[in-house]
Amino acid sequence: MTTLSSSRNPLVRWDWVTNEWDQIQEALLQHLQLTLLSVFYGTIISAFLAAIALRFHWAMTPVTATTGFLYTIPSVALFGLLVPYTGLNARTAIIALTSYTLLIIVTNTVAGFRSVPASVLEAANGMGLSPRRRVLTVELPLALPYIITGIRIATVTTVGLVTIAAIIGQGGLGRLILDGLQRTFWTPMVVGAVLSVIMALALDLLIYGAGVVATPWARRARVR
Amino acid sequence: MIDLRLQSAVPRDIGLWEWFSDPETWTDPDTGILVSLVDTITLCLAVMAISVLIAVPLGAGLAHLRKGELTATWVVNIGRALPTFAVAGLLVPIALRQGWGFEPWPILIALVLLALPPIYLNTHTAVRQSNTGAVEAARAMGFSERDVLFRVELALGAGLILAGIRIAAVQVVATEPLRAYFGGDGLGRYVRDGLGQNNDTLLIGGAILVAGLAVSTGLLLSLLERVALPSGVRRLRVSRPRQTRGAQ
Amino acid sequence: MSGHQNSGATPVAIRLVAVDKVFPGASEPAVRGLSLDVRRGETVALIGPSGCGKTTTLRMINALIQPSAGRIEVEGVDIASESVAELRRGIGYVIQQVGLFPHRTIAQNIGTVPKMIGWDKQRIRERIDELVDLVGLERDMLRRYPDELSGGQQQRVGVARALAADPPVLLMDEPFGAVDPLVRSRLQDELIALQERVNKTIVLVTHDLDEAIKLADRIALLNVGGILEQYDSPDDLLRAPASDFVERFVGGDRSLRRLTLARVDELPFAQGPVVEYSASAREAQDAMERSGTDWFGLTRDGRFLGWVRREQVNGGPIDELPRQPAAAQILPGSTLREAMEVIVTSSTETAVIDDDGRFGGVVTLEQIRERLGTAVRTA
Repeated sequence: MTTLSSSRNPLVRWDWVTNEWDQIQEALLQHLQLTLLSVFYGTIISAFLAAIALRFHWAMTPVTATTGFLYTIPSVALFGLLVPYTGLNARTAIIALTSYTLLIIVTNTVAGFRSVPASVLEAANGMGLSPRRRVLTVELPLALPYIITGIRIATVTTVGLVTIAAIIGQGGLGRLILDGLQRTFWTPMVVGAVLSVIMALALDLLIYGAGVVATPWARRARVR
Repeated sequence: MIDLRLQSAVPRDIGLWEWFSDPETWTDPDTGILVSLVDTITLCLAVMAISVLIAVPLGAGLAHLRKGELTATWVVNIGRALPTFAVAGLLVPIALRQGWGFEPWPILIALVLLALPPIYLNTHTAVRQSNTGAVEAARAMGFSERDVLFRVELALGAGLILAGIRIAAVQVVATEPLRAYFGGDGLGRYVRDGLGQNNDTLLIGGAILVAGLAVSTGLLLSLLERVALPSGVRRLRVSRPRQTRGAQ
Repeated sequence: MSGHQNSGATPVAIRLVAVDKVFPGASEPAVRGLSLDVRRGETVALIGPSGCGKTTTLRMINALIQPSAGRIEVEGVDIASESVAELRRGIGYVIQQVGLFPHRTIAQNIGTVPKMIGWDKQRIRERIDELVDLVGLERDMLRRYPDELSGGQQQRVGVARALAADPPVLLMDEPFGAVDPLVRSRLQDELIALQERVNKTIVLVTHDLDEAIKLADRIALLNVGGILEQYDSPDDLLRAPASDFVERFVGGDRSLRRLTLARVDELPFAQGPVVEYSASAREAQDAMERSGTDWFGLTRDGRFLGWVRREQVNGGPIDELPRQPAAAQILPGSTLREAMEVIVTSSTETAVIDDDGRFGGVVTLEQIRERLGTAVRTA
């Protein structure tokens, strides 16, 4: 292995950073795009799945089993399995990434709706709220803390998984890391790694903040 | 929107079945599946051993003293947010500078960081939420603090702790293939090589191996959990009491 | 103390006709052939042992449970003919755990139904303020969230919320069961006071007989399977149990319970062996002879001073004799139960009625017996 002295190959060569700023930006954007798209699709599919699982009791087990199974498949493996059929492109990455978000968001959504106290539901029904109104104005807001936590966890996890998607050429910041590793040139690697960590933490905080704003009544006990 | 049409897989050299049924695939001393499997398992065991040795005593000890609850939440959150790939990458130059070598320290440390949060959180919660009635009774009966910890809190929390270890183990096994990109081998090599050589057989085969190991690990540990728990100790699960309205 | 009795001409607010309810999978019906009328403005308590179907019956009135057979009419309208949501918006519903919406402020909780049926903002605001005062809460609580309030306060908000759209009917399911006895007693008193102001038709489910006696104009005692055993005013229920079941249910102390329903000022005035302090020893002796007691009472300028025992009389002025004060203060508004307490614990077996410190007469065991209708006629 190469031994490297700091003067010849420092951790970060700032001139590279300024030169390649476009490339870094592009990687950042691609990373963000993949993350947000996957979580978005994942949320929609999860909402659908959660609704089914809540409405039909028998559906709970198959839904949990399927989303759980998908989650257990290592990302490396899932990418590997999809590529021969869906190609080395963003589509493959999004399919895989979306399926990883399902378990968490579905589980949390279901838990959220189940957390609504029976007395609140009874009072709502007894007061004459129609089922639609009850779900939208009572159950959904009360389930929101759980749902937002689920989306938060899914987003942060996806940021990490997107870095791994670098192995199929879709990694955004992961591409920088991989590049740097393969060329034993530390700068892109450090830049990619640090930025992905920052992105994960930033999104985590952002969504947490959005949750706080959206649920003013839960000031005391927060689902962190 | 996403175009969901599939292209057909492109096998190279040999088909999937042939590849798997060829004994050489398995027994080759350099690139065989068995060797790679041993590689992977060794690393994972090392990671788990280190993580358990750190997280369990720390979690149990702090929980017993009724401390570190906030830390537990923070550890889990930050641990979740750190992409393993990125962390491993950052550790490479550091490892090299310290003379530890490219392999396996960066990926090992990164995997340990991945495993710590679930084990710590579950251990801490298990001991913290441990049936306080039994704990108080034990204290009142004259158990020493040490005994309370070991014979009551840990015993009652064993289920949750083992569950945390299982979750961590599956995550570690699932993420270990990254090692192939950090100069190592293990089961991840086939996916790496398959992608690099555009060889779908290797790719799919490798994926199946990796997935298979992860799923098996999960199942095996679930089984172990069930067997290892004393029959009287039920797994701690947070259930919401469902209020049923019967005829009154 | 129960409210006023209604005449038979009062319109019927709620009518159950031969209502059945069989739950799927159950071998016995929860409610069988129940027929019941609730008059407008009266408070009816549904009470009975576990499995008597009281809660099931209540929940059939606002269609939370569909009857298997029979008809239910609210304000003359068959509830099966109107939409469930419409029906419920016209009926106030209060449950034991209250069920306030945790994500809405107190004001928003109370305003739920008015908002749903389309009142304008100004009207809703005024109504909320009115209700908050009515149930005894403070205006600054309106901006708070339910988890910031105590159990008793939450229960009041629950009642306010139920009354918000001014429904003619109020259904309550063990509304005060989740709070401690002190708070419960206060809330019961406040419900009585509130009912005097708003005069709603109230159907109340409770397992507490004393609560039913205290709050209800009529009590419907149900047996297992929704069988109506007796449907009478509290006093009639206690005085004349219709069956063994009722007798056992109301308990062996039903006469004592009836005492809580009558007030001291319902009794005719009785002077008892009580004389002015300026009276002579002779007059005191006469008083004792007339009432057949070994003691007499002394008043001065209308105020009761105390009891003097026969043995103490020594021929001197009676106002200088040692005396015992009255055991406790009994006011004209006190219940006979409270008077009984004094009678049973004082050495004279007599309670003295005090009105602003003025002597108002005595209460004896005999008088109470007469009132209960259990007096023994002596020849």
